[in-house]
Amino acid sequence: MIATIVAATMLLAADPDTCVVLSGTTIYGESRKQELMSRSLGSVEVGRNYLENHFSGTLMQRLRTIPGVQSRSIGSGQSKPAIRGLGFNRIAVAVDGIKHEGQQWGDDHGLEIDAFSVDRVEVVKGPGALLYGSDAIGGVLGLYTNYLPTGPVQGKVQFSARSNNEWLGLSARVEGRQGRFYYRFHLTGADYGDYRVPVDSIQYYSYNIPLKDGRLRNTAGRERDGSLALGYVGKTFRNDLTVSDTWSKSGFFANAHGLEVRLSDIDYDRSRRDIDLPWQRVNHLTVHDHAHWHGPGFILDADLAWQHNARMECSEPVSHGYMPTPPDAVERAFRKHTLTAKAGVRIDWTARHRLLAGVDAEYQHNRRSGWGFIIPDFETASGGLYAVDRWTLSDDLVLNAGLRFDGVRTRIQSYQDWYETLGEYKLRSEDLRKTFRSLTWSAGAAYSTGPWVWKMNAGKSFRVPIPKELGADGVNYHIFRYEKGNPALDPEQSYQMDVGINYAGDRLNIQVDPYLNWFPNYIYLNPTSGYYEGLQMYAYTQCAVLRYGFEVQASLSFGPHWETEIRGEYLHAEQLSGAKKGYTLPFSPPWTADALVRYILRPGTSVQMDLRLIGDQREIVPPEKPTDGSYTLNATVSRQFPLGKTLLKVNLQVENLLDRRYYDHTSYYRLIGVPEPGRNASLLVGLEF
Amino acid sequence: MKSNLSLIPVLLCVLGACSRPSASRDLVPPEIIGLGEDTAPLNCQHFTRGDVIPFAYAFRDDIELGAFNLEIHNNFDHHTHSTEAEDCEEDHDHGEGTAGENPWVFNQDYNIPAGQQNYEARVRIAIPYDVDPGEYHFMIRVTDASGWQQIRSVSIYLE
Repeated sequence: MIATIVAATMLLAADPDTCVVLSGTTIYGESRKQELMSRSLGSVEVGRNYLENHFSGTLMQRLRTIPGVQSRSIGSGQSKPAIRGLGFNRIAVAVDGIKHEGQQWGDDHGLEIDAFSVDRVEVVKGPGALLYGSDAIGGVLGLYTNYLPTGPVQGKVQFSARSNNEWLGLSARVEGRQGRFYYRFHLTGADYGDYRVPVDSIQYYSYNIPLKDGRLRNTAGRERDGSLALGYVGKTFRNDLTVSDTWSKSGFFANAHGLEVRLSDIDYDRSRRDIDLPWQRVNHLTVHDHAHWHGPGFILDADLAWQHNARMECSEPVSHGYMPTPPDAVERAFRKHTLTAKAGVRIDWTARHRLLAGVDAEYQHNRRSGWGFIIPDFETASGGLYAVDRWTLSDDLVLNAGLRFDGVRTRIQSYQDWYETLGEYKLRSEDLRKTFRSLTWSAGAAYSTGPWVWKMNAGKSFRVPIPKELGADGVNYHIFRYEKGNPALDPEQSYQMDVGINYAGDRLNIQVDPYLNWFPNYIYLNPTSGYYEGLQMYAYTQCAVLRYGFEVQASLSFGPHWETEIRGEYLHAEQLSGAKKGYTLPFSPPWTADALVRYILRPGTSVQMDLRLIGDQREIVPPEKPTDGSYTLNATVSRQFPLGKTLLKVNLQVENLLDRRYYDHTSYYRLIGVPEPGRNASLLVGLEF
Repeated sequence: MKSNLSLIPVLLCVLGACSRPSASRDLVPPEIIGLGEDTAPLNCQHFTRGDVIPFAYAFRDDIELGAFNLEIHNNFDHHTHSTEAEDCEEDHDHGEGTAGENPWVFNQDYNIPAGQQNYEARVRIAIPYDVDPGEYHFMIRVTDASGWQQIRSVSIYLE
């Protein structure tokens, strides 16, 4: 038997999934307490079982049961991640340690990741700049697919189905290990129909849009993903080469896209599974090589990755204002190449000091096409250097402190309209070269006494303005507004203080995570009172923002069969300066609380009921509407059946059992009055061999 | 550790000083109101090319108005329905299903003087002689100083 020891995923390890493989022994590196002590900044880690037991659509919808993690629904069964209310480019999503780079600025752009290939998720709630540089200002969502197979041939087949959008999915994995070599092959396919909501009509842009059978027209889609990993696992050296490709095509809600509400000739109600215009199609290809070498007192990790993100958004060509009818349906298309290189080392330089140091570099090249302009062409090169010392004063007290320096250079290309406005081809974006530098730091302590672990961390993070913020000058076709970039923006900075209090008793576990966060210059898209060509002007500005909140989680077990759990989160955000002084930030999540009861018959077989309470959100900014609170009742049944040498896992989850109509304040479609789905059953059947 | 501790009072200070809710926040969008008999254009109203649309509506906001915009574009493909309660009879004689030869495009932004809670907007819009006749949409958009927007869409006919 070959077993693995998961090496301590120490604070800021260059690749947190460092695995050291020993023959013939099984050593569990850290107990839960030691794991808690290894970091001063709060993080949550979930494995495959958790992901399977919370199957309910997108990966992000599964993760939102973690306090402090929100999923922002963008329609058509897709959602965007947010950590403590910050999303888009304010969190870093990393796959096997490489920052995922798509067009994540887009309101309706989902994550181009095969959710079924993810084995483990790690959420860093708080500034993660030290690890990932720019963008990790609000946190890091680390997804890991590099689970190491143990037998010569093993794998699983998973079938998934959802009632709301009639989702059908099939995912299969075959993997194995022969001596020092291993392979992993994964394929996923899914098809889904139009998204269903418990209303007959919605109000959009002051139009009344009747819905047929409560379905959001043309939100059907499909997804095809594949990946292949080949690896070598030696005594001191390991190498993993992964090639993965995700492809998806999905329709945009036909009644809420484009420059105005249209009555198209397309018969959208003909079928609820077809994809008509307008639609989006994305292909994301990643080639990633990871090398790992360890010896006495040191671990070295190096990564090289290339990502190619090709996105196309098509809609019916229609003349509008001064723009004549475009020649084709390609409204927007983007091609983005991202090259990433990084290396990190961990050295135990004395018995009590452990040094983590690293260097990383990234190059992005983005090209646009199509008749709708929103962001200019750009190239961005960035590099960073960091060092962290972890000082173990005693078994009960660990201190750490780190520094990071980043340099980012962005070049934005000019763009001119392809049509004339009153005799002139308008210049929408000017040539721009910008260099940003940033010094960030983090320091913290972890202290344990008896069943308690106390943590405190303070840190500074930064985010370089993205080309949309610097150089946008055009119509946002999805939200009917004109967005104006600001080339004078400074890198956004954030100071955050986190406290983590953990109590681990025999039956009772409590985790409380309060935080305080201050942005001196948050980049905010301010709705102004001005107009530009008939569209309300939104302009990028910077303002001070204060945010604070907490997450709490407590579980209590009664004997071997019964468990109860309470989870909750609260967040307050307020702009302290600028045009919207006193207002909150857009899409501020309301408080939520969950109360769960779980009956565990035996490991793998359980029944769970969950009551979710969602608070009112009265803190709004234009153009938001206040959102009333609500509650939902959800149930999950899981069961495992051993079948010979295989294991059959069945998981059935029913969300919103009472079929209540409610709104999610953080949903993209909240602005147009689309409620959350009604009763929705999700089934996941997996066969492991 | 030292920088860590010294930050606590700073952050607490910021928290104490700034978390008081501000009472002056505007959370209400402006309104678009008719001007009695003068109100124009009305839904389904007919106008003649070469003539004038005597735009007359009032805007109201609880704090301060921002700006307004008037925009006219063709509806030859019957792409939208107006915000008005009644639907107009569709015009099938002119420009039907086409982009038209010379459709009328009008798009003008207007300022409202600062500090106004009420404003009577009267704009005389000359209709060119040579534009395509048929169904058009007349869009009225108004903002308040905080960036809330109100929209009204009115169907009109050009003869």
